[in-house]
Amino acid sequence: MSLAAWVRRARTPAPAPVKREYAFFEPADLFDMDIKDDPEASPVLCCTGDPAGAAAFNALWLKRIATSGRYAAAVSVRGQGGTPIAEGGLEARAHDIVQAAVTVPRQAVLIGHKEGAAWAALAAGRYPAAGLVLVSPQKVPKQPPTPVGNPSVLLVVAESETQTKETQAVADAYGIAPLTFAGSPDDVFKGAGAEGLLDAILSWLASKKD
Amino acid sequence: MQEYSSQAAYDRGEAVCVIGAGASGLIAVKNLRENGFEVDCYERDTVLGGLWNPQNQHSPLYPNTHLVTSRSQTEIPDFPMPDDWPDYPSAAQMLTYLTSYAKHFGLSEHIWYGSEISHVEPVDGSRFEVVVKPAAGNAARRLRYAAVIIATGHHWSPNLPSYPGLDQFRGTVLHSSQLKDPSRLRGKHVLVIGGGNSGADIACEAAVNAASCVHSVRRGSRHLPKYLGGEPADYALARLNSRPKFLRRFLTDRLLKGPESLAARMGVTAESRPSEEEPVRNGRYMEHVGDGSIQRRGEVARFDGFDVSFADGTEMRPDLTVLATGYRPKFTSVEPRLLGIEGDSPYPNLYARMFSPRKETLAVAGLVEPGVGVLPIVHWQTHAIAHWLLVRKSDPERAANFRLQVRSESEQDAGEPAGTSPRHRLAVDAEVYLASLGRIIDTLEQEPAK
Repeated sequence: MSLAAWVRRARTPAPAPVKREYAFFEPADLFDMDIKDDPEASPVLCCTGDPAGAAAFNALWLKRIATSGRYAAAVSVRGQGGTPIAEGGLEARAHDIVQAAVTVPRQAVLIGHKEGAAWAALAAGRYPAAGLVLVSPQKVPKQPPTPVGNPSVLLVVAESETQTKETQAVADAYGIAPLTFAGSPDDVFKGAGAEGLLDAILSWLASKKD
Repeated sequence: MQEYSSQAAYDRGEAVCVIGAGASGLIAVKNLRENGFEVDCYERDTVLGGLWNPQNQHSPLYPNTHLVTSRSQTEIPDFPMPDDWPDYPSAAQMLTYLTSYAKHFGLSEHIWYGSEISHVEPVDGSRFEVVVKPAAGNAARRLRYAAVIIATGHHWSPNLPSYPGLDQFRGTVLHSSQLKDPSRLRGKHVLVIGGGNSGADIACEAAVNAASCVHSVRRGSRHLPKYLGGEPADYALARLNSRPKFLRRFLTDRLLKGPESLAARMGVTAESRPSEEEPVRNGRYMEHVGDGSIQRRGEVARFDGFDVSFADGTEMRPDLTVLATGYRPKFTSVEPRLLGIEGDSPYPNLYARMFSPRKETLAVAGLVEPGVGVLPIVHWQTHAIAHWLLVRKSDPERAANFRLQVRSESEQDAGEPAGTSPRHRLAVDAEVYLASLGRIIDTLEQEPAK
């Protein structure tokens, strides 16, 4: 975030505060002797464009991430799931993500799915995320802000999407090559495709030195 | 710790030493870590949070301390405060905020508590030898660092004025930092000396708790309520800066007309132009003056037995006198010359208000009073310092050019007249200073020629 961007933001009205739905799962919640909380591993905060919001990650994601020893959280932005509707567009949703990120106990990795990827990308321009994962991004601004604090960025798309303009634009903006997963971009929350996708993300997170 | 107590200094290589774990120190540690530096932060006290922590023995907090700048203008740019907090959070919330900042970015593991820096000495070129004196009787340790950032703040060494007869005065005299508990005011006849933010706040506290409150001020000052036009005052005024220039003056005057005429009615007149000094920000003060629970008086002429006489000839017998006379900046470990402190003035003379004029790798964070929140300013300062240390290491030629630029920036700054009170030596116009910081950061962040 540049100084000029901060000055501009500090002088525009802040989005109306909402009570956000926030779901989290800690490794200790699994009641499994073999799974140890890894204090070195960054926590993970997920969001999605799906109207279910945080609840969408309950089926598989949060538990699966917690199994890897990480604190796993998901947030519903305004209008999703259990979070009331409030005014504000893209910026306000990015604000919701940042507000959720600062309540995570340690510096978090942001994972955004579909429109959630756009919000996460904007949030990463204001909050020094430990990493940024964009899953099948949609409606990402043409020039997303430079992520604060130089986190590594991962772009994961479905096989059907690899050649779309959207994917190309995001890949170019961050200067990275997309990783692909088998299955449909809408079907990432459960099923075999979801497991494969999660494994790919978790092994990327584990390989990343943070 | 035999290896440390020997005369040979332990070399910490490229690591940076940050002195102080208050708000500025924490931000400095985080920004340096983010740019890949090893950091050792030394805190004299045993707790973090600096002035915001009431357990800190040098804490300047007085009863019911709240921020005087609003949340949106005070929060650290990349770590916002929770948006369900009030516009003007309390000192306790500030401490919660700073603690969660430290926890979130894992800063505590880099902080050495109970370690006072007794001496910082430049050695071979640009490095520094730092002598750390632990609180609990161990031998002092000597360490060498590539750079030192001083973030000791300027609100811990009370500024105690001298009045004739104050030494022999038989009543109770406390500095604002010694007050701590509001019950000390209850039922007393209180005299508050000092017209700054702390003076106005304590006078308001005494207005509702004490039997009577006399507020002695030496000179007029500009007062701002905490809200203007339905918005936090600092936000409302800062927002006008994004308006076209020809409208700004008009809009500012319109916004300030109400509070100014109220201040004039209460006999509080400002002696300086608006931009020259930081205003007193208090919404309740004028109302308490208006209902008589605060009586304003002029300067104290002398203390005599149990009585206090004022310059206008009146007298009173206070049960409790509170000196809300502020603080003086104080640097205990560094040779004053390195910070450009000359003569009797305790105020340093720094490049761009953060870089030492003598040593390239010595900087001070947070020694400004910008009239907006200090935390964001410190964030950008330390951001600039971290980038400067990186550039200095990688590209000496750019570093030399940069040094020249900073010097010319500070010369422009020095051309302005100083404020009317010594306190305002640290005051900067936030708009001007941020623009200057922006230019500095832009220069530092430019892609180096490959």
